[in-house]
Amino acid sequence: MAEAYPRSDSESVSSSDNEEDWLNKPGEEDEDDQEQVSVVSLFDEKVFSDAPAMLAHCKDKFGFDFLAVRDRLGLDFLGCVRLINLVRGSVKEGAALPEQITAGHLADDKLLIPVLEDDALIFCLDDLPQPKKAGQQGAGAETAKETQAGGEGPVVDELLQKNARLQAELEQLAQQFTNYRLAVEQTLDKRWGVDEESDKAEASSKAAATPAPKKKDDSAYYFESYDHNIHETMIKDAVRTNAYRDFIYANKPLFAGKTVLDIGCGTGILSMFCARAGAARVIAVDNSAILDKARENVFHNGLENIITCVRGRIEDVTLPVDKVDIIVSEWMGYCLLYEAMLPSVFFARDKYLKPDGLLVPSHASMWIAPVSDAEYVAENVDWWREVYGFDMKAMQAGIYTDARMTVMPKEAVCGEAHAFRMLDLHTAKVEDLVFEDPWRTTLSDKVEGLDGFLVWFDCFFAESREEVVEAALTAKEWAAGGRERVAFTTGPYDTATHWRQGLYLIDKTKAKEIEVGPGKKLEGKIRYAIQEGHARGLSIRVTWGLEGQDTQAQTWLLN
Amino acid sequence: MAGEKMDIEVAEKQLKSLDHSEQHYFNSYNHHGIHEEMLKDEVRTRSYMNAIVQNKHIFKDKIVLDVGCGTGILSMFAAKAGAKHVIGVDMSTIIFKAREIVKVNGLSDKITLIQGKMEEIEMPFPKVDIIISEWMGYFLLYESMLDTVLYARDRYLNKDGLIFPDKATIFVAGIEDGDYKEEKIGFWDNVYGFDYSPLKETALSEPLVDTVEMKAVVTDPTPVLTLDLYKVTTADLAFSCPFDLTARRDDFIHALVAWFDIEFTACHKPIRFSTGPHTKYTHWKQTVFYLQDVLTVEQGEKVECALHNRPNDKNKRDLDIKVEYRLETQDPNRQAGGACLYKMC
Repeated sequence: MAEAYPRSDSESVSSSDNEEDWLNKPGEEDEDDQEQVSVVSLFDEKVFSDAPAMLAHCKDKFGFDFLAVRDRLGLDFLGCVRLINLVRGSVKEGAALPEQITAGHLADDKLLIPVLEDDALIFCLDDLPQPKKAGQQGAGAETAKETQAGGEGPVVDELLQKNARLQAELEQLAQQFTNYRLAVEQTLDKRWGVDEESDKAEASSKAAATPAPKKKDDSAYYFESYDHNIHETMIKDAVRTNAYRDFIYANKPLFAGKTVLDIGCGTGILSMFCARAGAARVIAVDNSAILDKARENVFHNGLENIITCVRGRIEDVTLPVDKVDIIVSEWMGYCLLYEAMLPSVFFARDKYLKPDGLLVPSHASMWIAPVSDAEYVAENVDWWREVYGFDMKAMQAGIYTDARMTVMPKEAVCGEAHAFRMLDLHTAKVEDLVFEDPWRTTLSDKVEGLDGFLVWFDCFFAESREEVVEAALTAKEWAAGGRERVAFTTGPYDTATHWRQGLYLIDKTKAKEIEVGPGKKLEGKIRYAIQEGHARGLSIRVTWGLEGQDTQAQTWLLN
Repeated sequence: MAGEKMDIEVAEKQLKSLDHSEQHYFNSYNHHGIHEEMLKDEVRTRSYMNAIVQNKHIFKDKIVLDVGCGTGILSMFAAKAGAKHVIGVDMSTIIFKAREIVKVNGLSDKITLIQGKMEEIEMPFPKVDIIISEWMGYFLLYESMLDTVLYARDRYLNKDGLIFPDKATIFVAGIEDGDYKEEKIGFWDNVYGFDYSPLKETALSEPLVDTVEMKAVVTDPTPVLTLDLYKVTTADLAFSCPFDLTARRDDFIHALVAWFDIEFTACHKPIRFSTGPHTKYTHWKQTVFYLQDVLTVEQGEKVECALHNRPNDKNKRDLDIKVEYRLETQDPNRQAGGACLYKMC
């Protein structure tokens, strides 16, 4: 990836219309008269019917000899494109050209972006006279014109074809660079985010990320973004990794001789747990480059005969088996559904899981609780009102519109937590992930004022698909229910996890203050929706009000 | 307001046209979390404040340029210190926040904020009297803005102009860090009973930005690079420095730790701050380079080292670093030597 720096601005990747222009124009001109071309002067508004005439004009009127520069620097096709755009760009901005243009001036890949749309000069580049070997550099435009005049007919056809081919290649390259750029950008963003996380900066990079509307293929970034820092964070999240280990190792009879599918396997840890637990075969699928490391890890641990690593999207890959007995996946995102990997698990479940097959984990529930934490608000909101003697409240933008991923102390919770949705993963559907559920709470005596809401999830590992997990049961209650069962919470009442919790701060400049107090009841609704233009992002809307009274609403984004 | 919105759109477009690594660099500074972290770094912000506000006689009626102004805090310090005019320049869209901040603080007529690259913008003054900038990155040079400051210096600073700060020094020392090395590096030898060594190499090649306790420091610190901002050129940022580390006590060395000190020597009373393990926490923390070997040193022994640093060819804000080390002792069992390559990216 390191070599694959993008060479082009996304703007330069033209719409498909434009692409057709690029590709077809020379072809159309095949049939037309060559004289129809309009070449705009490099330095003024004048239009010429052919490139050599225009270049001659530039040389005479402006003392700029394009061909001489081209030949002096030995520019190829793309080099000429860069030169043209350098000149046109400078003229457009009213900037002076360097006295002597050097290769260094042409190094910037921005110069591959056409300054002039459908620049006829670029189409005509191959028609220009080639440099004379015998020191006749910078042969004048006169010669150029002659050469061209003599070269009509089949030669022109050939050149136009070559031209079209090069245009297509350029277009393709630009597209590739754009894709790389998107992928790399996201990788870097994520990495940066991880750094920030380790800095324990309260403001989550994910939550506070600029919500640049990215309509393209979000998934490309998503997969490429899984660099090893994130894997380190996940694998070292003992709450998470222990839960999978404990369930798999404690239920070896369930895994013995079975075929297991691990979706989004990362470094392969869950697959290796399954293999050690006696699975006959494990198929580990991941679409990111981390799969190479997974393969190495599997090999180093002598499990390559059991685990097959497959790179690709689960929706696209061909598995070496038709059906599997168990699907293991660690698909959970912030506030459970951010990053939206669950639909892929459903897809795999419906396509590959045997009717009596098991999902690990089997259930997940989502919780909401009211928050009262004057100290947090003072440090993160009010702080900006007086920074070294200056008012910086402009920095608070987003504080009320973005979810903040943070680990809150349980003391901040000022009322009963409410489980608003339980997903049985064996039967849940994609439609169940967009919803509006009621919630309610009774405020505790900790309540001073209502500052916001905290959202988290619990995760359950049932041993059979028949098992029912009641919605209001916490991970702890369920795990303690008689026999040894595995479940974990990401909430504020137990060890913090890398998922932290989602904090949704109430915008007190807009919200109506309600009279809170110990024992008072709040009720409202919570809605999860997919954010427009960002398939892996979430928009969460909470309404609240005192029991039986009017409610108010606020929406937060997670992206 | 509409005009401003257009500015932001133009700025975003401009950002998009940059090379991706540059884009990431500027974008990451748009997130306000990082600005919060920097502003809340008291050692940093207070040092700048003191250097500027306590030297009103230096700033009075001067034209000041703030390179990479971020939220505008340094520009506002300079304005408060009596500057005739301050120009704040930042590529990141944070500058639109800075504009709002400057306005609510009633300093709009004293401070001009320009969004763009230092190299491309049009300056309202041909020359400036003072350049202020907080350009330092992790390990001083990682993702640093120094090249931009140097550009501004060469193009805009008056002949007898001042730079705040004007001196930076990187120090290195050896540390005993067995427990943490085990946690960070040894971890990959046994991950829940599995061998994860493929990820160990990667972990070793990445310098770790973290806080180091003073008691972990085994050797005397040694300066490996001193930058005089009036003289330094970008070429000097690729450097090689041989140095010795003298053990203060019998101990083990698992890693080298690097940090930097910053000085404002132009102040009436010079102001300096350090990001070392011996002093208060800063958001730069320290940078740890784990060695392949564990060195067993006795008090007074010297470890011969060399540090080579250069900006990465492909992304100049990334660093390629090489550390060589050799312990010469009478005891052949303790002799050790090697070279490690690191990449900060």
